[in-house]
Amino acid sequence: MARLLDMGLSAVLLAGLYATMAYGLGLIYGVLRVVNLAHGGVLMAGAYLGFCLHERFGIDPYLSLPIVAAAGFALGVVLYQGLVRRIPRGAAGGPASLLLLFGVWLVLRNLAYLVFTGNDRTIRTAYVASSVAIGGSHVSVNRLIVLGISAVIAVALHVLLRRTQIGRAIRAVAQNADSCTLAGIDVHRVYALSFGLGTALSGVAGVLLATIFSFNPSSGSSELLKSFVVVVLGGLGSISGVALAALLVATAEVFAILILPAYLTTAVGFLLLVLVLVVRPGGLFGHRVLS
Amino acid sequence: MAMTHRLHSSSCRVLLSLAVISAAAAACKPKATAPSERAEILIGATLPLTGAEARIGGFFKEGYELAFDEVNQQGGLEVGGKQRPVKLQLDDDTTNQATAVSLADKLINSDKVDFLLGTYSTALVEAQTTVAEQNKVPYVNGGGAASEIYQRGYRYIFGALSPVELLGTTLMTWIDEQQRAGKLPRPSKIALLWENTSHGKDFRKGVSAYAGKRAGGYEIAVDESFELGGKDFGALLGKVKAAGADVFLVDAHLPDYLTMHRQYLDAGLCHKVVSYGARGSEQAAIDALGADHVTYVLSGVWWNAQLADTIPLARKFVEAFKAKYGGRTPEWFQALGYEAARALFTAIRQAGSTDREAVRAKLAALRIDSLLPGGTLAFSAAHGGAAQNAFVVQQNLPDGSAPIIFPRDVAKVAGVAPSPRCTP
Repeated sequence: MARLLDMGLSAVLLAGLYATMAYGLGLIYGVLRVVNLAHGGVLMAGAYLGFCLHERFGIDPYLSLPIVAAAGFALGVVLYQGLVRRIPRGAAGGPASLLLLFGVWLVLRNLAYLVFTGNDRTIRTAYVASSVAIGGSHVSVNRLIVLGISAVIAVALHVLLRRTQIGRAIRAVAQNADSCTLAGIDVHRVYALSFGLGTALSGVAGVLLATIFSFNPSSGSSELLKSFVVVVLGGLGSISGVALAALLVATAEVFAILILPAYLTTAVGFLLLVLVLVVRPGGLFGHRVLS
Repeated sequence: MAMTHRLHSSSCRVLLSLAVISAAAAACKPKATAPSERAEILIGATLPLTGAEARIGGFFKEGYELAFDEVNQQGGLEVGGKQRPVKLQLDDDTTNQATAVSLADKLINSDKVDFLLGTYSTALVEAQTTVAEQNKVPYVNGGGAASEIYQRGYRYIFGALSPVELLGTTLMTWIDEQQRAGKLPRPSKIALLWENTSHGKDFRKGVSAYAGKRAGGYEIAVDESFELGGKDFGALLGKVKAAGADVFLVDAHLPDYLTMHRQYLDAGLCHKVVSYGARGSEQAAIDALGADHVTYVLSGVWWNAQLADTIPLARKFVEAFKAKYGGRTPEWFQALGYEAARALFTAIRQAGSTDREAVRAKLAALRIDSLLPGGTLAFSAAHGGAAQNAFVVQQNLPDGSAPIIFPRDVAKVAGVAPSPRCTP
């Protein structure tokens, strides 16, 4: 029983991590219909920015999140205005956007190699190995904070999209960009904001990952893959679906160890993806919550 | 129609231009000199100078360059009564298997190198050695440790790095000494976790074989592998916790060690003996986890600068390295790079020519004084050309040092078991 409780807690904490990683990717796809392959690179860049702020200025990684978010937002807006905007909208721009954003990732990665070398880095805080006891189980303080931040991001995104003027504009553009243009909404401004917001979320996720894992310029590929699984499972473009899918994937992976060898547990998420795509191609939680 | 014609003619112009540029570039490119016409001995190598293993690739480069400098400062290698300088043709394989393979092919067939030195990491060495074997070029490496590399019946591949299986055996030998001294329970329960690579499989083999030979001494309570770059080891560590093991043995690369050990500490786990294989004593881990959190962790490595106190060649190497690199202390990477190059030079000198077959034969029969543990280097034919030197076991102590605790002939202090971190 104690072991099952341990595993349950582990699943919830892992879900927080997966959801945080996937929000940015989900938001950008939901609005722009662009699979942001630079997501992995932005995660990595966020980790390095958090690392630099901690090493140079002694800023706690969690306190550096607003700075990283602002930098990520600026990067996203620049990427959109400078590159993504030039790609044709809709299906015609699909392959071009994939190649373009993959190129952005490669540039980010090689810049990181140039500046930081290939060494593994970590952000070490005073509470790096601190844990709290919950029902006889030890739970990492870092992972609890990540879970908390993941929940805050989910609520904040919900409020932004449902209760604000810009949120309504984002949802409208996600539904039908052409109609929005006719109604006088500056679609490119909404796209730029959404891309900026998605990139900011990816940067924040990068810092959170760096508080738990070591990282180097090659980091981000497995995170991109996992984010993709979560976003597709949740229903492309669905923010609350992302959170629920993250919980589902994490639970499946953690409890799989009861019947599978440990090295196969990471494949469980991909197996789930295949099953869901066969049964419900639109994802488990509908097509688009943004709509 | 007219548009198609324009497209075709512009494509033709582009193709023609490219052909002219290529021809010009080919004409300008210096022609590789045939080995028989060269004054120097040309030795080719690739290393991961960029990419994920860039840091370690740089370390191997330092080892190679020191070995080449030493020979050239003495006027070169004496081959067939003549002093011939040695030249290193080094390319960057970008930590990529395909690049390592194609560069090895280029070094052999375009640059016409005489011999090859190896790259770093088992995956790259394993891929690259196929090219060396196909071309019958002697290949000496200090960066590939998995026994799979040496179990393919290849004749031209020689490894200065002992197989990881021996790491498992060496750790178990020390643990066994502690058990015989009554410091560990009999039987001791072992939780054995290993990365799902040839590296991890070798480690598992070494530990399991040793435990199997000591009837009643050990019970492997958990025997699980994990994927590289794991994000969550919570469930796996839960299994370890439930097993109530005395000894926690893991084979992991640095990122997985950092992630797993953080979760290990978070989960409040504690074992009488803890080791992450070759990981544990490096500064990067101490920086990441904090010295307090890695105290009493054991690590087994192929070489350590502390060997300079007991092995004359190790002392000579450490002094030369410090003189060349601003007083920095070398790690095993530089030492193995240096030693691989030195072994190849010795074989060339002994062969008295740069004939590849003659040098291969000398490498196969080589037995020289070495800076490695045991003080001798030989490429064991019974193990496919892999050296079989023992590992040195270090233990992190509360004062921040990591002295060698095993084997006894080179140990600085006696190791501590059971770990006081677990003593109530």
